[in-house]
Amino acid sequence: MQRLQVLKGAFCGLDPIQQQLVIGSAVAAGGILIHLLYKRRQVKSIPLGEGWWGAGQKPLSEDEQIHPFEVQTTDEEIEDLHERIDRTRYTESLEDGCFHYGFNSTYLKKVVSYWRHKFDWKKQVAALNKYPHFKTKIEGLDVHYVHVRPPRRENQTVVPLMLVHGWPGSFYEFYKILPLLTENRDGLAFEVICPSIPGYGFSDAPRKQGFDSLAAARVFLTLMERLGFSQFYLQGGDWGSLITTNMSQMKPMCVKGLHLNMIKVRMGFSVMFSLMIGSYLPFLVGFSREDVRRLFPFFEKNVYGILRETGYFHIQATKPDTAGCGGNDSPVGLAAYILEKFSTWTDNSNRALADGGLERKFSLDDVLTNVMIYWTTGSIVSSMRFYKENFKSNPDNRVDAKVGITVPTGLAAFPAELMHCPKSWARHRALWGGRGSPPLSAARGAPC
Amino acid sequence: MFTEVLVALAIGGLIFFLVQKSRTPVLKTEDGWWGAGAPPDGVEDISIRPFKVTTSDEELEDLNRRIDQTRPTPSLEDSQFNYGFNSQYLQEVVSYWRNDFDWRRQVDKLNRYSHFKTNIEGIDVHYLHVKPRNVPEGSTAVPLIMVHGWPGSFYEFYGLIPLLTEPSDPQDLVFEVVCPSIPGYGFSEAPHKKGFDSVCAARIFHKLMKRLGFHKFYAHGGDWGWLVTTNMAQLQPGVVKGLHVNFAPNSRPGLSMVLSVMLGRRFPKMFGFTDFDVRRLFPCVDKLVVEAVKETGYMHIQATKPDTAGRGLNDSPVGLAAYILEKFSTWTSPDFRNLEDGGLTRKFSLDDLLTNVMIYWTSGCIVSSMRFYKENFGRGLNQPHSRPPIPVNACRGARTHPSAHRTLDVKTNE
Repeated sequence: MQRLQVLKGAFCGLDPIQQQLVIGSAVAAGGILIHLLYKRRQVKSIPLGEGWWGAGQKPLSEDEQIHPFEVQTTDEEIEDLHERIDRTRYTESLEDGCFHYGFNSTYLKKVVSYWRHKFDWKKQVAALNKYPHFKTKIEGLDVHYVHVRPPRRENQTVVPLMLVHGWPGSFYEFYKILPLLTENRDGLAFEVICPSIPGYGFSDAPRKQGFDSLAAARVFLTLMERLGFSQFYLQGGDWGSLITTNMSQMKPMCVKGLHLNMIKVRMGFSVMFSLMIGSYLPFLVGFSREDVRRLFPFFEKNVYGILRETGYFHIQATKPDTAGCGGNDSPVGLAAYILEKFSTWTDNSNRALADGGLERKFSLDDVLTNVMIYWTTGSIVSSMRFYKENFKSNPDNRVDAKVGITVPTGLAAFPAELMHCPKSWARHRALWGGRGSPPLSAARGAPC
Repeated sequence: MFTEVLVALAIGGLIFFLVQKSRTPVLKTEDGWWGAGAPPDGVEDISIRPFKVTTSDEELEDLNRRIDQTRPTPSLEDSQFNYGFNSQYLQEVVSYWRNDFDWRRQVDKLNRYSHFKTNIEGIDVHYLHVKPRNVPEGSTAVPLIMVHGWPGSFYEFYGLIPLLTEPSDPQDLVFEVVCPSIPGYGFSEAPHKKGFDSVCAARIFHKLMKRLGFHKFYAHGGDWGWLVTTNMAQLQPGVVKGLHVNFAPNSRPGLSMVLSVMLGRRFPKMFGFTDFDVRRLFPCVDKLVVEAVKETGYMHIQATKPDTAGRGLNDSPVGLAAYILEKFSTWTSPDFRNLEDGGLTRKFSLDDLLTNVMIYWTSGCIVSSMRFYKENFGRGLNQPHSRPPIPVNACRGARTHPSAHRTLDVKTNE
């Protein structure tokens, strides 16, 4: 009260011009504040854009029907595969090479022997067809997806959820989780859509340049709209992480929640700063003890480690047509290329094992089914092109890097993830460029 | 008295300092064993065996069948060679390979010169040895070793060999040429153990030259050949009388190089840049950094996962051809990336290009050739043998490589 009197006295003590100045500044400051508050409320989104990816010119109209699809195989396909496997020309691995030089030759022969004599592709095709598949034309591409509805129950809330895969994965990676998602838990069940990114698996490959994650996001948004979903949840890892993030940036009103495993952060000032002092004073920069364990020593874990593992990325982001050419003729070459990732990306220390630890976490049937999806569709080259399309220009300058994530987001940070992302960085990614602070939770996922 | 002692010490110190400085530091190395298992007891086999390149009907039938069963992926519209080897043009090359290329005739051409093999440190080393037919009276042929790179081979020198061993001008020097295949490449056996880097290759080639009776010789190398021959000169500077290289990246940018990059465009004379240098080097970030990133994907994957990278290529001749020939296109000129046919036949004949590919295909050496990258880069770029400050006791000249222009630190110690 007294302070107010003092202020009032001071104000009255000013001459009229000064008083007007003070009033004017106060009004201006208030105006700016209101404007900022108003803008903060508004959710910024990135433009949808448009595209046409089929061969030649865009026709006047497009077939928007949804067609059921079944995975098929033939005896010829299997015989051709066996013939090529039998003609493989192996190169012996170096003594004690383990998986340090890539997929070890001795162990590869074991995997291939299983593939040739025990793996039953017809049985796996039947397993793939356990869930209904569909195709529909969007922007000139036949987009493939699996659509699983939960069994009808009374008093059940059904929530639509799209799961997007990455490279060198496929929709098949989600098959183990589908039963868990579609079963009723406390009255809640998911209706799941698992599409194949165009250029991967049973989705058509784009024939024109420029098909990046923004284009894939728009195609998948169109798919959800065509299926009649106006609001839904999204999950993605690897490329799926970027695509689903783009989807939530394009139509934040449609995406009720986003769950990611793997998130890329910009190496901005705050990230660099937290790296500099994070190992000494972690609490100051929001690092937990687990964060410190996974991030440091920084150069070894994040620079050399990444360099060791990103050769594929570099060649695919520059010369995909060259890199994938051999892989489309040699099933064993393709298997080595893909399965090396399933070994090393599950846990880096697998490189020191003679068998790459592949079967510790995966069954050969599952990993070979994934390889067969790439083999039978001949999609290895088009899958690699996605790297070049997304890295043609600096990703930090792209429109999606300048806009934050404004939908509620969860991040699963698995212990042996390629590059660890602490919660404080992820939160910053969501905040930076956007307004407001969406609830962000980082689940410490157990190794699967 | 005191002054004399001080002066003596000062002079002594100066002499000591000068002597130390003038002593040429030499790269050190130890013998290795690259064969399978443990080295056998007993005497080493140092025999030299003649070798002939051969082929068979089975080999050709197998190749043709694999070519026929290629599963091509159409290139993106208007992408030329920007995504790698263009699919459309690859079909044309493959069609020539399948229908017009005559491997038997090329094998005869390869056998025009004498080939040999000899076992060094447990592996069979292949080489070409071309003795000149006419040596002018009163002079001797100059011994010269020529070392290839990746994805090349000894065959790349076939155009040069006649000019070196049978010059048209009788006043010209006459050379006696040795062209080995780096172990793991072509007809040389691949090392079975880890760690075979350029210093090991250099040591093996020194042993080869000694076994052939050469105690002093000249060396030429490009790409990996540059590093191997440079190492040879560093290992035994008294033996390598002269070194000629093409493609010699400066692996340790010192202050002078950094300054020349920063200021060289404005003050080219100050750094010894010619107009040609300026045109090739600047704008620096674009031409050196961005270009390097665009073109070194192969290097990155081969230096980390060679066994994975090469696996499919050893089953797919078309995949192998695309991988190798893309380099012959883009490394001849980066502008060729914008051509539908990659400008491949502007500088090379398909016969020559495919012969080189066939050397990799018939010997099945693509994986071992890629391992050389990991062995050399796997421990980082800052290895003793790749740091230029060990002065090479020879005049180092360099021809500029069209797609990798470098300023050179020419050190002469003669």
